Amino acid sequence: MGRITEYYHATSLEDAFAKAKQLGPVAAYVGGGVELVLRRNPEITVLIDLSRCGLDYITAAREGIEIGSQTTLTTISRSADIRQYAGGSLSWWAGHIAHNNLRDMITVGGVIGRNQPWNDVVPHLVALGAQVRLFDGAERITPLAGYIEAKQPGIIIKGVLLPAGNAGSNGFLWRFTRTLQDISTLHFSALVSSDGKLMTAANLVFAGRPGHTALYPGLSEELVGKSLSHETFARVAEMAPDLVEVGTDLRATGEFRRELVRAAIVNLEEHMTGVAQ
Amino acid sequence: MTISIAVNTVERSFDVQPDEVLLDVLRREGYLEVKGSCHAGDCGACTVLLDGRPVASCLTLVAKVDGHAVTTVRGIGDQAHPHVLQEAFVKNGATQCGYCAPGAITSAKALLDENPDPTEEEIRLAMDSNYCRCTGYEQQVEAVLDAAAQLRKEHKK
Repeated sequence: MGRITEYYHATSLEDAFAKAKQLGPVAAYVGGGVELVLRRNPEITVLIDLSRCGLDYITAAREGIEIGSQTTLTTISRSADIRQYAGGSLSWWAGHIAHNNLRDMITVGGVIGRNQPWNDVVPHLVALGAQVRLFDGAERITPLAGYIEAKQPGIIIKGVLLPAGNAGSNGFLWRFTRTLQDISTLHFSALVSSDGKLMTAANLVFAGRPGHTALYPGLSEELVGKSLSHETFARVAEMAPDLVEVGTDLRATGEFRRELVRAAIVNLEEHMTGVAQ
Repeated sequence: MTISIAVNTVERSFDVQPDEVLLDVLRREGYLEVKGSCHAGDCGACTVLLDGRPVASCLTLVAKVDGHAVTTVRGIGDQAHPHVLQEAFVKNGATQCGYCAPGAITSAKALLDENPDPTEEEIRLAMDSNYCRCTGYEQQVEAVLDAAAQLRKEHKK
């Protein structure tokens, strides 16, 4: 932030959107607000607060679970519905990411809107098949995976939808870090369904460069219809390093990240079969 | 802009800049028990309760807090009337230089308000935002377990 001259408490989505549209690039929404404080943008002079727009909710319906964008990680971690969803993986991670007094500040809309390299929630939400409910004068729903690839400024994230049908699936998130609080060198997340013998559906998600989360449908298909055996996972572990897009930066080389991709699949095998190879 | 916050149950009005954070305003207004350290949400020294939940006041825009309730460690207890947690920190050697203690006690208070019988693991998770360079954390965990036991005993009476 440069010099903030106005802090505006929006009373509704319509109010917030109209204000942002009127002001253009000098306005920024305050969702969680944590990163807004840390990463000051000299262009921003007006902050539009969304906390009074009724976006702090978790509702379970036939089509799935919707999480309001102003819902904090702590609230997500405590939701009975989310605890039962996909083996409770999102609930567990929401209760362990960052640390306690940040989990009470970080909102799900904030992490999606910013999608910074240190946001561990986004890869897992993509693996869970989440969609986002957006508001730009009217509501529309779009897959999260697509939204983070081509997000448009000025649009408000109203909520995140977790699809129904994942009750019997296993969610998995692996963040490889040098220290507990460090930015992940590699994110890997998966959602796998099985009938006890064969895997019936799979979503494999990697962020081979921090902040660049992507779903790998081809790789995911390699698990579908296959048995929960060491041979199945060993074959995918062999293929994955060549297919996953990795990057080189000060944290790690691409070569190192490719080895982590292999290790991530081994971790998934252990998670799915309960057996360490 | 003028905002209203109930600080330690007392309604206060403050003239603030829209980009100020809660920590800076509290200290300017004399709540020096709230400590600033990293100013990046890492260390937990500045922890206060916002509507009963622990937050890093160094990352909280004060304008966002307008109309809400803030509790500092002095609102939990003071020298004349210390809270059981504060006494337990002293008794168990959980404070040495004391700089992290306001934040640590505040996080612990939020935990015990919700969970009067926490496990050691739950205590460590609830206080994972509070760095302490002196005690090595063991005494802090013992202090919270001790305080929790005392509070349960008092509650039974």
